[in-house]
Amino acid sequence: MKEIRFRLILILAFTALSIYLLYPTYADYQNNKKISSILERTRSDLKANNPGMTNAQIESRLSALEDSLKTADPSIAETKQKRLKLGLDLQGGMRVVLEVNTIKMLQKLAKNPNEEFNQVFKEAEKEAAVSDEPVVDIIARKFKERNVRLSRYFGTVRDEDNDIVSQLNTATEDAVSRAMEIIRNRVDQYGVSEPSIQRQGSRRVIIELPGVAREEETRQLLQGTALLEFKLVKDPQLTFSIMQKIDNVLAGNPPQDTTKTDSATAANQTAKTDTVSSDTSANQQLTKEQFEKQHPFFAIAMIQQESNTADAYVKADQRDKLQRILSRPDVKQVIPDNVEFVFEAKPVGKNDEGIDVYRMILVNKNPELTGGVITDADANIDPATSSPIVNMAMNSEGSTDWARITGANKDKRIAIILDGVSYSSPVVKNRITGGRSQIEGMANLEEAKLLAIVLKAGALPAPVDIIEERTVGPSLGQDSIKDGFTSGIIGFFLTATFMIVYYRRSGSIAAVSLIFTVLFILGILAGFSATLTLPGIAGIILTIAMAVDSNVLIYERIREELAVGKTMKASVDSGFSRALSAIIDSNLTTFFSGIILYQFGSGPVQGFALTLMIGIVASMFSALVICRVILNYMVAAGIKITV
Amino acid sequence: MRIFQNINYDFLGKRKIFYFISGALILLGLLNIVFRGLKFGIDFNGGSEIILEFQKPVELGYVRNNLQNIGIGNIEVKTYGADNRILLRTELQNVPRSVYPRIISSIENEINNVQSGIAKKLVDSSFTSVTYEFNNPETTNLVLNYLSNTGYQTGKVSEEPTNRQIEVNIGVSSWIKENLKVTMKDNPFKVIKEDKVGPKVGNELKEQAVIAVFLSLVVILVYLAFRFKFVFSLGAVAALFHNVLITLGIFSILYGVIPGLNLEIDLTIVAALLTLVGYTINDTVVIFDRVRENMKIHKTLPLFEVINKSVNQNMSRTILTGGTTLMALLVLIFLGGEVLRAFSFTLFFGILIGTYSSIFVASALVLDYVSKSKKKIQF
Repeated sequence: MKEIRFRLILILAFTALSIYLLYPTYADYQNNKKISSILERTRSDLKANNPGMTNAQIESRLSALEDSLKTADPSIAETKQKRLKLGLDLQGGMRVVLEVNTIKMLQKLAKNPNEEFNQVFKEAEKEAAVSDEPVVDIIARKFKERNVRLSRYFGTVRDEDNDIVSQLNTATEDAVSRAMEIIRNRVDQYGVSEPSIQRQGSRRVIIELPGVAREEETRQLLQGTALLEFKLVKDPQLTFSIMQKIDNVLAGNPPQDTTKTDSATAANQTAKTDTVSSDTSANQQLTKEQFEKQHPFFAIAMIQQESNTADAYVKADQRDKLQRILSRPDVKQVIPDNVEFVFEAKPVGKNDEGIDVYRMILVNKNPELTGGVITDADANIDPATSSPIVNMAMNSEGSTDWARITGANKDKRIAIILDGVSYSSPVVKNRITGGRSQIEGMANLEEAKLLAIVLKAGALPAPVDIIEERTVGPSLGQDSIKDGFTSGIIGFFLTATFMIVYYRRSGSIAAVSLIFTVLFILGILAGFSATLTLPGIAGIILTIAMAVDSNVLIYERIREELAVGKTMKASVDSGFSRALSAIIDSNLTTFFSGIILYQFGSGPVQGFALTLMIGIVASMFSALVICRVILNYMVAAGIKITV
Repeated sequence: MRIFQNINYDFLGKRKIFYFISGALILLGLLNIVFRGLKFGIDFNGGSEIILEFQKPVELGYVRNNLQNIGIGNIEVKTYGADNRILLRTELQNVPRSVYPRIISSIENEINNVQSGIAKKLVDSSFTSVTYEFNNPETTNLVLNYLSNTGYQTGKVSEEPTNRQIEVNIGVSSWIKENLKVTMKDNPFKVIKEDKVGPKVGNELKEQAVIAVFLSLVVILVYLAFRFKFVFSLGAVAALFHNVLITLGIFSILYGVIPGLNLEIDLTIVAALLTLVGYTINDTVVIFDRVRENMKIHKTLPLFEVINKSVNQNMSRTILTGGTTLMALLVLIFLGGEVLRAFSFTLFFGILIGTYSSIFVASALVLDYVSKSKKKIQF
């Protein structure tokens, strides 16, 4: 009995754990149902009350409502995070494989290319199209065959071939990380939930965008050239007064003069701003709710009182909301035409609740300089201060402009903006001549490296090619879920019925343990934050059918033991022990091929392999532990067992 | 309920007949593979595949005719699940040069629709796109919006406010969709699935797939040699090889024969074959386990008797497990939806053959090998 108690605890623990891990999935399902019913109701209301509204207008109103519903309750986002993830083939979306076109990049890098050079590159292009050998190696080999030194085209005359190869390899390596950073940045801005950007091999990037099925936009997103700009950060007084106005508009006190203010007049209102700012400190005594009501803008875009900047800090989950506020026509009215708010690419840190916080700054709309002038940038540790720095070099044209800009804006901040997102906004310390600048203030070397990548984004565009693209529309995904679910239920009932008819009471035990098997599989999948794909669903159905194998093996043995005249108790015990080696050997071999399948596969196939392996473990547990406990209990309690 | 209780059937005595059957099946499959070939999907060959859902049912012949003379050769047209869903496929990677003028004139027609006589310059054209330059940024944005709204894939060349160039995509699939939009105006469609695979990816995948199947065979060979005897693992792996070969043969024989069943070798089929390897070994291992046990118990019994006895003892388990698995697969074939059909079909046939081969191929080979080599095996 002691043994049974231990096993019972084990079973209960696993069951509780599985239910705990699956609960967010259930909650998320309920949330979605609730939200979509509210949206449906609003849609019909809107249609009935505003017959003049176009579909596009209704959709935009609805998506705004959907966002606000989703952000209203933080638990919604949380359950979504923790739920069982669905693969692209089930929820719809895009998967794109990009390859950085190294050939084109190297061609651009070369100096004085001639006929022979072009010939070699043509051959290399053909070869690279079918092999995965690094392009630099192919080219180096081809030139070597022709007895041409690489220094004829790359690097300096004194460089050995090996050095040049390693230089070129670094350049390609750089290009891939740059492409990834640019893509990540854009995907983040695009607002895709749970995007996945992974590197594969030497020059490929795999991007998965769940829920996105707009091919045109995505293509542009991934293949367009990056835009790097240097923009002047507006001074705190102006920034604060603009924020103040937005706050007033949101709180329902529109400005008296409806004419647009430009930055000059706004700056003249600093006096007024000062009084208002003391106002805000007085507001600190207000309760949180009151503050939110009276200062809806500052409740989202928080200002640090003690700092001498007017940078606003925004929680990650409120960025979208803020962006929508900023694009409202009445809010736009109070923002001068020549400035704009930009976010920083990376969070500055986490707040007390553990949510990422982003900085938002106000910059001039017109850039002082664009990134095409940068010739090089690299991250280093300053030996004097041992803090990370980025060194940046510009071409002569850029250097002249840079000297003028830095001279005119001493002690002001200049934001480094890539595709509309700020990566750093260093303060200009001196007029910089000669184009060589040093940027300080990064938290660590990683951050400095990122900034160097960003700075080079406009310098050497490495073209990327889309070599694989898969799109699944949401309707097909819905169909697949439905079909998979139906087949699963039917498969389960057929298998269970089969077992009950054939083995009667012990067959029912097998059917019960089958329920546990399915529960464990789903629970483990959710716990590993694995992705459920369509082949994965097939894997579960197949596992249900195969899971009874262990039960069949055990029961057949018990029957044999009973046939030779053993008692029920002895038969059950030896049935289990004799079937054990067959169960373990057969399941282990299947498990091995599951591992290989997982290594080989990508996306959906991997999902299948994973469910297969989890299914094997879960079904072995059900058969060897759960069934055993039930049978042992029945034997001990003297309940009649039919096998 | 009991079936196959205490049966005593001489399976191994008839092994010559089953060798013949297996040999014939393999030969038939191989002949078909050699002469008819295996049909690979775009996962391996590269190309484009589009699944469209129309508002109303469509007639395949009509679509086929419409696509016949758009200049990109043969396009496969099939129904997909429902009569308003069709699958279009071409192995073409790029639009052929000969079609270029037509595409360009159709794009330029659209541009002229924005504003007739608009000043434009064709600045670049590649396999996949053409680039136009306009006089000022405003016109550029106007044209861009118009073209995107009419369904072209377009984009600005740069995000700079002074940008005057746009790139228009002319991939194979966009050209097909463009044409269908015009010729089937009264029956609008939406894209429910679209795959484009480059040729390089396909080649790599073929290589990886073969490696994966062989690797799993090797791993099983080693594991079984370790757990049983080398003879047993040879027999088991030979049986697995036999299963995969016959299943591939069935693919070749039945390709295009059963309507609604798309038997092309793609990634999921490779996954199915690998699963097959993993699942059919189950059967074989269970029988071998029994053989091992019986050899320990009946030390004097000849191997022939031992194996026959073990197969008979296991019969009801073989039928039962095979039965539930095949039943689940039948459910998947009929109700699991279009995407999983070929996958489930592969497993259905494979497991059927696997069950057969674990008795008549794996065990029989072990017996013949042992009696030929006259070595005594002992556990």
